[in-house]
Amino acid sequence: MASPMKVLLISLFHPELVRGGAQQVCYELFQALRERPDVDVTLLASADASMPALYKSGARITGFDRRPNEFLFLSRDYDYQWHKISNRLLIESYVEFLQLVRPDIVHFHHFLTLGIDLLTVTRRTLPEARIVFTFHEFLAICAADGQMVRRTDKSLCSEASGVRCHQCLPEQPPEFFFLREMWMKRHFESVDVFTTPTRFMIDHYVRWGIDPNRVAHVPNGQADYSRGLAVVERRDVRNRFGFFGQLVDNKGVHVILDAVEILRGSGFTDFVVEINGDNLRFASEPRRKAFEDFMEREARRPPSDRNVVMNGSYHVHELGSRMSRVDWCIVPSVWWEIFGLVISEAWMFQRPVIASNVGGMKERITHDVDGLLFNVGDARSLAETMQRACTEDGLWRQLAEGIRPPPSREMMAERFLEVYEADALALASA
Amino acid sequence: MSERKIPKILKETEIRRILIRSGAKMDDVRADGTAARPEEEPTAVHVSPPESVRAEPAAAATPHVVPRHTIENIAIADRGGVFIAGWINDSVEELAELRIDAGAWQVTFPAESLARSGRDDVQAALAIPRRHAFGFWSLAADTRVSGPATSCSCEVVMKSGAVERHQVPLQILFDQIELRNLALTYLASSQYLGNPMLDSVACLDKFIGRQIVDLNLLISNALTGRPHVERFLSHRRSSRGSIVVCLYGRPEYMFLQCALFSGRAGIEDYEFVYVSNSPELAEPLLQEARLCAMTYGVNLTLVLLPGNAGFGAANNAAVAVSQSGRTLIVNPDVFPLDQDWAARHSTLVETLPAEQTAIFGAPLYYDDGSLMHGGMYFDGDAAISVERSLFRTNLTLRVEHFGKGAPASAHQFLASRPVPAVTGAFISCDRAWFEKLGGFSEEFVLGHYEDADLCLKSIHQGTAPWMHNIKLWHLEGKGSSRRQAIHEGASIVNRWLFNRRWAAPVAENMLGQRPTHPLLQAQPEPAATEQPAPRPAFKQPRKVAQPKPPRVDTRPRRRKMVGEPLAAGRKEFVF
Repeated sequence: MASPMKVLLISLFHPELVRGGAQQVCYELFQALRERPDVDVTLLASADASMPALYKSGARITGFDRRPNEFLFLSRDYDYQWHKISNRLLIESYVEFLQLVRPDIVHFHHFLTLGIDLLTVTRRTLPEARIVFTFHEFLAICAADGQMVRRTDKSLCSEASGVRCHQCLPEQPPEFFFLREMWMKRHFESVDVFTTPTRFMIDHYVRWGIDPNRVAHVPNGQADYSRGLAVVERRDVRNRFGFFGQLVDNKGVHVILDAVEILRGSGFTDFVVEINGDNLRFASEPRRKAFEDFMEREARRPPSDRNVVMNGSYHVHELGSRMSRVDWCIVPSVWWEIFGLVISEAWMFQRPVIASNVGGMKERITHDVDGLLFNVGDARSLAETMQRACTEDGLWRQLAEGIRPPPSREMMAERFLEVYEADALALASA
Repeated sequence: MSERKIPKILKETEIRRILIRSGAKMDDVRADGTAARPEEEPTAVHVSPPESVRAEPAAAATPHVVPRHTIENIAIADRGGVFIAGWINDSVEELAELRIDAGAWQVTFPAESLARSGRDDVQAALAIPRRHAFGFWSLAADTRVSGPATSCSCEVVMKSGAVERHQVPLQILFDQIELRNLALTYLASSQYLGNPMLDSVACLDKFIGRQIVDLNLLISNALTGRPHVERFLSHRRSSRGSIVVCLYGRPEYMFLQCALFSGRAGIEDYEFVYVSNSPELAEPLLQEARLCAMTYGVNLTLVLLPGNAGFGAANNAAVAVSQSGRTLIVNPDVFPLDQDWAARHSTLVETLPAEQTAIFGAPLYYDDGSLMHGGMYFDGDAAISVERSLFRTNLTLRVEHFGKGAPASAHQFLASRPVPAVTGAFISCDRAWFEKLGGFSEEFVLGHYEDADLCLKSIHQGTAPWMHNIKLWHLEGKGSSRRQAIHEGASIVNRWLFNRRWAAPVAENMLGQRPTHPLLQAQPEPAATEQPAPRPAFKQPRKVAQPKPPRVDTRPRRRKMVGEPLAAGRKEFVF
């Protein structure tokens, strides 16, 4: 009997320490692969100084919470400009870890807090291993937090260049971005296969210079939080909207609040929006203040006149109860939104999604088939869409019935196994 | 040289005599400070200007009053020299000299040895409408300036015979470097009444220039005398070339270059030698060097200097510890554009005639894709200034790049051909030829003109530098820390020194883009019609490496093989 394929997954943070889409997807994959007898999977997740209690004197890579095959990479001395670690002992520990685990596949889900040069170190340590890299954002292309949103005017950016990046980050000259691009690409040379969760991302990276024959599309999969028991009440009016996510600028909560004001101003008030999420402290000062001021004014209204309710943060296990309170899920992101796990989560509960018409949202949602799209960042467009959602007979049912089940974690694992083993991809025969 | 007796008020037997003479040798003075010719009466030593500007003091007459003045600063560095600065209203009566007596040593500055500058504050305070260079400063470099004195007497002597003495506290500077930098700062920031370029050169020409150069040599010799050297080896293969890089203030360029140079065809035949002029970066550089060897599989030698020895001296120190017969001087902000540049470089060196590869440069490109350097040539600027109703002119050489800013497709700048000079951002040089030329001149202060100077030395000795078409990126000016006044002052000194040395021979037959020097007349070979990639290219997918047959290098070697015990202070690590 063939020995199991040894897979090492490398993650930015552990989702139980820091919540985030990339680490959630990586952990879903880890859990799916762990259930397979033909795969021997190990997880190495980074931790940083925000979790000092996890750092042990003299240790650089440790176990995690007594969980088998789960380890922490205790990041330190991280250079956020060049995305590398200059701590020699940590790198030596990583090399030792690789030599101990001896994986056949090393699958990176990020390089932040790990170092982009870890790819080259991995290649030198394990010349025969297949290295896979999954892009979860545009950090390799975009020095502005990987968002590809122009800081000059908040518009979506489709192409990086020395001058354009300098306009967003004027403290760095164009030459810096030129060098950064070369630096990133040099280390990506060690990668055998790239994957992206959406196809539009492939376009961005191919335009940047990635060989299209080396990129595969593997949608993000998740466990079904509804457990197949999505509760859909019979209601005549579908006027309850929900936002699920972080209250940071690029998630676009402010677009919802502006849309609410527009609807109220036009006399349409028969709706409610429930805000589910936290991390408002990570929003910019103006956005945070605007949100707090809005909620303060909302609180002063009589309860019957309130249109926006703040439910606070939630855990995935609470999704069922939160989703049951809404008819629609709004995803008003003002950035590309690579995949939008919240879209999958809404679909698990048969909730049509109203989303911005860009990026992963536009790719996943088919307007008037399984959801509705509005112009990105346009509060009036959202307001009109919300009013339509509330008032158009049969619309909600039509869209709910058009929802296809989102990818499961098992489907994602199957697809990644194909990537791990594929000889069919053009590059593998080179 | 005219000498003067020490005034009787000073203790002759206690005085250590310092002889500072333009062009004089230290051999003229014994170790105990007495003159080499015992029959001569020991004398106070003074700075002696050239004959043409020396003036005999006026005959003593009725005592005159020394005009208003202030000695603002007398600073010394132990075994470095003395600096003086102040102002004087000698607009009517002429200053003769300044005498400093610190007990254990004396220095006399004749008026001609002082740099003069405008002082708006003095002009306003004295309410004198006619512009006059009230300010003065000067420097005398000598290792015998030392001792415990914390103050000195300073005599201001006018040509009329008037003398006024002051007791002045001595500013004890930290070291020779601070003394040099003080002079460079004054040089850069002085308010010259005429053409700044001419006036600054004039003050250097008389006396101060040589002092700064001598002091700088003292400094760089001390800094490069005992470097800390560590080697980080990934393999035991011998090197066909040594990539020598001088770092200053920007440590990240070491790992960036190791990353971007490594993994390319032919690079396995090259070693990297990094020399650091920034001692504060020693620890992080040592960490990074080890990481680079581990990550990129390169052989890397790190030479740490205890201070900024300047571009020339630092590179010479690095070349001295390199282990191949070919030296490549590379700026930290230079990166390969042709991905197979190393293999192409090796092929060039092996196949072309020796005179075409003894010293050569390469086309360098800006990040925007345009050409940054296609070789260098010399041009001349005639500067003009007015002084005492007379025009004064001077020809100053300027170094320019062929094709700077030209489109990448400008093939005339890519052709293999001899050129007057190539930029130090990339110079490939036969190691023996580099050493025969004496390496980079260490007289230039901090950095600038060493590359042109090296190329002119090569032409002078019968071999012109060439250009060959292996393209690299050069992010010009991004490889070092921001310039300060001392760098501006150093530029002035270097420009003066370079012109003093080369203006006449260059003006003869090496000026312009088409010089007539016989060594520069070879017909250029047409360049290939390829254009550089508009943006960084992605390397082709990794292929399974086929084992290469071992290569036997039968060339005679000057240097010993890797593996021999290193000298004390040098360490070697093998991965």
